[in-house]
Amino acid sequence: MSTSTTSAAQAHKLMVFVLSMSLYGLATLVSELIPSVQVGIVEFSVEFFLFIPLTLAMLFDPLSVALGAATGELVFSEIMLGQFGGLGELEKFLTVAIAVYVAGKLVPDPRDIKRVGIAAFGATALQLAMSAAVDIIKVVVAVEEFEAVPGLPESVYFTEGFAFLNDLLFSGVLFCLLPTLFLAPRLYGKIEPLLGIKPRTPEDVADAASPRLALGAVVCFVLAVLAACVSKAGFSLIEWEAEWAESTGALVTGLAVAVVIAVIAAWCLHRNATISRA
Amino acid sequence: MAIVSINDLTFTYPGAENPTLLHLDLEVEEGDFLAIMGANGCGKSTLCKAMNGIIPQFIAGDISGTLMVSGLDASQTPLGELAQHVGYVYQDFENQLVRPTVLDEASFASLNYAQPDYLARGMRALELVGLANKAESYVWALSGGQKHLLALAGALALEPEVIILDEPIAQLDPYHARQTYEVLRELNENHGKTIIVIEHHTDFIADYCKHAVLMNAGAVSWKLPAREALRQLDDLRASDIYPPEIALAARELKDTGVLDSGATLPTTVAEGVQAFAGLGFTPQPCPARPVRADVPAAVEFRGVSVSYRSVKGAPRQVFDGFDLAIHEGEKVALVGSNGAGKTTLMKLMCGLVKPQGGEVLLKGVSTRGRGAEEISDAISLVYQNPEQMFIKDSVRADVSFAMRARGRVDADEHAHELVERFRLTRLADRDGRLMSGGQMRRASLAIGIALDPPILLLDEPTANLDIATRREIVRTIADLRGVTDTVVIATHDMQLVCQFADRVIVLNQGRVIGDGAPEEIFHDEEVVRASGICPPEIYAMGAALDCRASCFDIEDFLMSFDAYRALAHAATGEAADVPVADVSVAETRTADAPSAGVPAANAPSAACEKEVA
Amino acid sequence: MLEKLSENVLDKVSIDYLRNQVLKNAYGNDDTPIARLDPRVLLIWYLFFGLVPWFLGDVVTLLGMFIFCAATTRLARVAPLVLFVFALGVFSQTGYLLIVSILFSGSIDALIPLLVMTLKVTTCSLASITVFSGLDPDRLSNGLLWFGCPERLSFSISFAYRILPIMFEELQNILLSFRMRGRAPAHETLGGKVHWLVYQVKTIIQSFYPLMLNMAKRSRTTVEALELKGYRYASTNAAVLKIKLGSLAIGRNDILFIALSVVWALGCFALPHVLEVLV
Repeated sequence: MSTSTTSAAQAHKLMVFVLSMSLYGLATLVSELIPSVQVGIVEFSVEFFLFIPLTLAMLFDPLSVALGAATGELVFSEIMLGQFGGLGELEKFLTVAIAVYVAGKLVPDPRDIKRVGIAAFGATALQLAMSAAVDIIKVVVAVEEFEAVPGLPESVYFTEGFAFLNDLLFSGVLFCLLPTLFLAPRLYGKIEPLLGIKPRTPEDVADAASPRLALGAVVCFVLAVLAACVSKAGFSLIEWEAEWAESTGALVTGLAVAVVIAVIAAWCLHRNATISRA
Repeated sequence: MAIVSINDLTFTYPGAENPTLLHLDLEVEEGDFLAIMGANGCGKSTLCKAMNGIIPQFIAGDISGTLMVSGLDASQTPLGELAQHVGYVYQDFENQLVRPTVLDEASFASLNYAQPDYLARGMRALELVGLANKAESYVWALSGGQKHLLALAGALALEPEVIILDEPIAQLDPYHARQTYEVLRELNENHGKTIIVIEHHTDFIADYCKHAVLMNAGAVSWKLPAREALRQLDDLRASDIYPPEIALAARELKDTGVLDSGATLPTTVAEGVQAFAGLGFTPQPCPARPVRADVPAAVEFRGVSVSYRSVKGAPRQVFDGFDLAIHEGEKVALVGSNGAGKTTLMKLMCGLVKPQGGEVLLKGVSTRGRGAEEISDAISLVYQNPEQMFIKDSVRADVSFAMRARGRVDADEHAHELVERFRLTRLADRDGRLMSGGQMRRASLAIGIALDPPILLLDEPTANLDIATRREIVRTIADLRGVTDTVVIATHDMQLVCQFADRVIVLNQGRVIGDGAPEEIFHDEEVVRASGICPPEIYAMGAALDCRASCFDIEDFLMSFDAYRALAHAATGEAADVPVADVSVAETRTADAPSAGVPAANAPSAACEKEVA
Repeated sequence: MLEKLSENVLDKVSIDYLRNQVLKNAYGNDDTPIARLDPRVLLIWYLFFGLVPWFLGDVVTLLGMFIFCAATTRLARVAPLVLFVFALGVFSQTGYLLIVSILFSGSIDALIPLLVMTLKVTTCSLASITVFSGLDPDRLSNGLLWFGCPERLSFSISFAYRILPIMFEELQNILLSFRMRGRAPAHETLGGKVHWLVYQVKTIIQSFYPLMLNMAKRSRTTVEALELKGYRYASTNAAVLKIKLGSLAIGRNDILFIALSVVWALGCFALPHVLEVLV
């Protein structure tokens, strides 16, 4: 019986992954196609449909939902529409996954409105805080003399801080908190039988605040920051120092090309070896 | 040799109180074409999922007894290995297709089992089902029937000896249904596949299956040769399966002594022609239908042109200069194969699709410039898929939603009435999706007429239902005749057409090729051939005995027999003197098959010559 | 502002239009020269054209690369809506920077670097559109698989293209249910328009309740079918990977494409120096 239960459990995880991926993917695709609203310097950069994975994570296995949602966004709105931003997408992938996973782990009973609310709002805040932090670190790392450029630190802190608050209080409440409060208790007990899964009991999320979870989240966040920095190295605000770019542009290009060629060559050799061994 | 042998199988779903399968024994011979029949919830699907190992390896539960397929123990053999012996096609086959293109889908399983010639295998499977010319197409571009064949090809690619299909034709129009069964017959007869179908369309069982099994409460009641099985009228009815109408009619004739009591009951038209040979058969005139030419038009299409943007190449033209008028109070059936434009026509009436040329008039007012919200006060559309009509979390809330949005003060009371009227009171606080097929359908009808629309549109109201539920819905719709004024039904269900419609409009490639009373349409060979509609079995039986006959139900058919008619008239003549008996006769007339009230008497000799078709 | 938004976004861009554009982008361009290239070649090509422009500062070089990427995008026949979204994205990125730079440093000199910036963003985005929109989904996922991406991701890509039309139809019908049975507030006045916008957003959010349940019902069959087709078994089997990747082959067109790209890129790098000599 043990084999059948593990395979059933894996099947459930796959179902939840597929469900989360397709729903959140479709939602991000739609929101990608609706041009973003910009009022002055503030962009409403909130994930309008974050409530979907948040709700699902509170009902099913949070890890599968988190990975599914992040994959869905990557596949539907980035790859399918060709808006793929390279390594920088890893940042979004990881921050969304962490926030959704944490939210799911915080709710033992989806009918408990208070816990659902706290988890939804907290997760949104976490996601926004992480991406704001990534943005700031990105600039600090990218611009060597960050403090020396007049007005730069202020402008960065100001826009990021404002965007964070604005997103959290306006879109976070409207698009993440309220819909999750509406959906999670309503779907509880209805959506599970359709997938052949038992509704969540508090035991399912017993290891909520384990140190492993915290450690994992921190590691993922660091990864996200690294990915974002690597992808944006030399990007955008570097232009505040135009001379830097001119003098080193050619050198950097040469280096980049050399590294890319070396990596690809090494990979080809390795890949061919593994595949032919199979 | 038995290819599937099941011994004392008992299975209980986790959390369920009673076992779904209970001490089930069954042997399926190699090369058989077996139909599994049974009422809803008798364990048909569970049994089939046990045969391919999904139960208990994927859906856990308590299982006991043995189930051997091709000599393998289905509960122990890895699913991958078992899949090379048993193929499975789901009822909701569309969700079974997981790859974007056709050849990809057909060869996906072979690829996963690391068969190097996976493309050739996929191609071979596509050839078997007749989809080889579509190999490069995208799955979404296929029609429903083609998708079903593709799901079958996907299962065939691993070359299993046994293929199981769960209600293969529930979602198909009659033309594609027959096409699917032809493919299955070919696989069975020329490729030696053993085929097991869950099926309750008795006409298909009679035409294609070799054996049939009746399941009841998780066990097998009997397994008989298919035709023999279909003659067990009482057992079938007890299991909510509607036996062949021809057999029912023949039994009635036997009971009343019109037909020799020793005769075997016919189950198909061909058998019927033999069985009823020599009996006097005179077609009766159809009841006059109201003529409505002088009534104002409820809906009018004037030179309507519609085309859809297509993904590739030129836009697809659905209608070009289309004209049609539907008069107030008419009960219209819209028939025609898939893609003929039925759904587009309905969407045009609701203002959901705007015509590029021409105009659609609702009671003389153009839909142009009016939003769907506004139009929805005058017209209501019930989708083919009821799940898409459930937008709130309970049936009651769904029924009252439209009334609340319009600020009707009596929304709650009216919703309550509707819920009661459609017998949903006990279910009213549940989510629509968690109900059975028939309940969902009733709920969607309740939602559709909540605003008392003068015009009601129903898109395939009986699709995807088992026969018993279908009859129930047909009755419910027939009840609507008094409630809503103008009703338009798009359907493949000719039984529904016969029982409901005064006027049939046959669409073919965006043009009206037939327009008239049902009997006029069924008699027009040209139209029948071009549109692929098949009249109900009893109609075909009547037409086979006399090409002028138009029998829409068993009653019409029986009354065409001179001897039976004489008996019935004698009975009513007697009844005129005795008022009490009158009631019983009247009741008999409304039942599907009269079985009492006609005194047994010797059949008088045939009164008129039977035409040989 | 909100008026314009409500009119433009929610009135004109119907879900039907979105669906058509996305499908067009996904399936409508599988016979272009770009779609027929080897996915590995295109991915490496993307690594260069999607990365290198970030490190360049010369307007002429960037302009050359921009022209090249624009040409490949044209060849890939990308749907207009995708290009529109792309254009809007570029505009909002540089527009945002323009305001910040004028506000905080107050100099017009920033405009020249901004042009460079715009070219960088545009070139890299176009490269990404060429590769990810232009490639056939299945070839793309095979290409990614070859570079060692998780099998789950490559499956998700193909599956996404399969499920997308189904989901769009489901969503569309649910939204139509809301439209036909609901009653949107009048939107003649400004207040009414705001009301109307709020109503529309609420409707979209509410429509996810039925959508989630309907999709849940579907995904059960899907996952059972995947199991029967041996998907889980295959994801850990190296032999399957070998067969899958065996279909990848570099042909004459690929070599031509590589050669053209290299020559063009070298030309772009050389151009500023040539100009210098000439001037």
